[in-house]
Amino acid sequence: MSIMAYNGGACIVMTGKNCVAIASDLRFGIQQQTISNDYPKVYRVNDKCFIGISGLVTDAQTLHQKIVFRHNLYKLREERDMSPKVVTNLIANMLYEKRFGPYFTEPLICGLEGPDNTPYISGMDLIGAQVQTDDFLVVGTMTPAMYGVCETLYKKDMNEDELFETISQCMLASLERDALSGWGAVVNIITPTKLITKKLIGRQD
Amino acid sequence: MINIDFDSLEQPTLFDSLASDVKYLDKPHFDLPPNSNPGDFLRETFAHPNAPKPLEFAHGTTTLAFVYSGGIVVAVDSKSTQGPYVASRSVKKVIEITPTLLGTMAGGAADCSFWERELGRRCRLYELRNKELISVAAASKILANIVYSYKGYGLSMGTMITGWDKTGPQLYYVDNDGTRLHGQRFSCGSGSTYAYGVLDSGFKWEMNDEEAYELGRRAVYHATHRDSYSGGAINVYHVQRNGWKKISSDDCFELYKKYYNIAPINKPTN
Amino acid sequence: METLKLSALPEQSKQQPINHGRFEAYVDNGGTVMAVAGKDYCVIAGDTRMSDGGYGIQTRHYTKVFQLTNKCVLATSGMQADTIALQKRLKLMLETYQKEHGKPMSTPAIAQFLSNTLYYKRFFPYYTFNLVAGVDEKGEGWIWTYDAVGSHERVKYSSQGSGNQLVIPLLDNQVAKRNQQIIQGNGDVSCDQVVSFVKDAITSAGERDIYTGDFADIVVVDKDGVRWEKFELKLD
Repeated sequence: MSIMAYNGGACIVMTGKNCVAIASDLRFGIQQQTISNDYPKVYRVNDKCFIGISGLVTDAQTLHQKIVFRHNLYKLREERDMSPKVVTNLIANMLYEKRFGPYFTEPLICGLEGPDNTPYISGMDLIGAQVQTDDFLVVGTMTPAMYGVCETLYKKDMNEDELFETISQCMLASLERDALSGWGAVVNIITPTKLITKKLIGRQD
Repeated sequence: MINIDFDSLEQPTLFDSLASDVKYLDKPHFDLPPNSNPGDFLRETFAHPNAPKPLEFAHGTTTLAFVYSGGIVVAVDSKSTQGPYVASRSVKKVIEITPTLLGTMAGGAADCSFWERELGRRCRLYELRNKELISVAAASKILANIVYSYKGYGLSMGTMITGWDKTGPQLYYVDNDGTRLHGQRFSCGSGSTYAYGVLDSGFKWEMNDEEAYELGRRAVYHATHRDSYSGGAINVYHVQRNGWKKISSDDCFELYKKYYNIAPINKPTN
Repeated sequence: METLKLSALPEQSKQQPINHGRFEAYVDNGGTVMAVAGKDYCVIAGDTRMSDGGYGIQTRHYTKVFQLTNKCVLATSGMQADTIALQKRLKLMLETYQKEHGKPMSTPAIAQFLSNTLYYKRFFPYYTFNLVAGVDEKGEGWIWTYDAVGSHERVKYSSQGSGNQLVIPLLDNQVAKRNQQIIQGNGDVSCDQVVSFVKDAITSAGERDIYTGDFADIVVVDKDGVRWEKFELKLD
């Protein structure tokens, strides 16, 4: 079994009109054994930037702590929050520093960029090869299933309610076909004025 | 090629007179891989770095059966996985061998369903020849002998054979290396340890039928929660004096909502 | 006691010798097939790309759907050579059955027969992933879905092949309406609606799966027989 699938997990980011959404499942397991069903893989960096980290959980936790540390230093020096683009470059650099002994994680970054709050999403592989898209990105143990649903259900310029419905349906549909992720999900919608967090009840098997 | 004895079920056909190249076509037989040990063939074929995607057979299970004062309860999940991918949530893992015999499925789905179907055929033939129902001991031994004769061929099955015969309710465990055990409580598959935990702590000899069904259901439910390769719906069967009866089929998600009083916050308006 | 090695590089002695001239039993020619059953019909779709097991394309016109009777078709992805062998074997046995019984084999019987045929190759399997789709004696549409050695299940929709993991959750959501609390209408959909949905689904699979593309055969089976239609997918 791949080390990336040791703990299981799934994460999707999606853009809408003036909003972005990030969703993750809630399972934390060790191979086939479920340890916890309340373990979201989404972390808040600041109010306009969230990251989702799938893969090996111990590496995800370490990476998250290092990101928080670097973000705090940035805030002290610059007296402002990091924009999602900067967070992406930061993480990509941190990952590439460990090129020959990588963190076994695939991060997704989402947020609102710049003064006009442009939706921004990006992702990268475990050694920091970045990818930016304007629709959606998926990582986790069952990416084919997630791509399949996202590819057909995604529409451009959805408002926050439509975006919530779409990302939730994509998440639930793909989780039902993944043995290593699921047990519920959490969805965050980021808009210029507010942050909406909702928990989805999911199958517990 | 080896021929297995199918008791001459197949009638002679047109092909009997045809060339020897096709003489096997009309007879059920197993093709064997060339120049290779059948048990190692698939593993060796896909161990190669340029080999195509390995054939993944449906796997992963929680099944259990126990004897109590009112007969035997058989409870199983219904999920089938190929690697992390969930191939199905609606597999029938209780195999209705004859109207009086039940078998369960764990391990290779095709192995279990094929050989328990074949077992059903042999049990029916026994019944016609001897004018009485086959005992569970004999039926389970037929299966154990079949799988033993294929030892080393890579069959994968862990099954419970149950029924109610002249000697009362009987429960046997048969697996692919030819093990055949008589017992009171068995559980099989990747979720079996979890199921044993609930089953052994909740078991009493004297139970009414409803309590027994619920014990079986609960044991499998908690196994599906902890074991990611088990899930779907939970099917419960009851083996009674005059044959088995299907009791229930409950989706795990519905059971979860029932057990923990979970209702959707946003109820649909229509 | 052996000293702890700090290098992550593979040890020289553990390197596998290169094995020449071994018997390669299988090649995966890829491709996606899917089927959706309605009340009295079935819609089957299969792309027509045949890959060489890697990034190459051997032909863009390899039909994966095979008509067994006029009420039943077989859709197969996996290895082309095994697929042809399986199709020939089934065709032969179905013709024999027709001659001996004076009627074609019923669809549920074909489904069980295919399972046995696959299982007889249990120790040297056909590298094929099958769907049987058709209408039964009552005129009801059904799909049977198989693994390589004959484990099968009767369902209302399924997909097999290289793109099946992309297609199946979509079918769960759109056909079975999983996780949807508000469902419009009584759930009955017309054949034309299913055909158009199936086209969308196989196009999506072609978008993300490199082994799926070129063209798609869309096949409709109902009590009147089997109708074929060609549908264009991306050629890249």
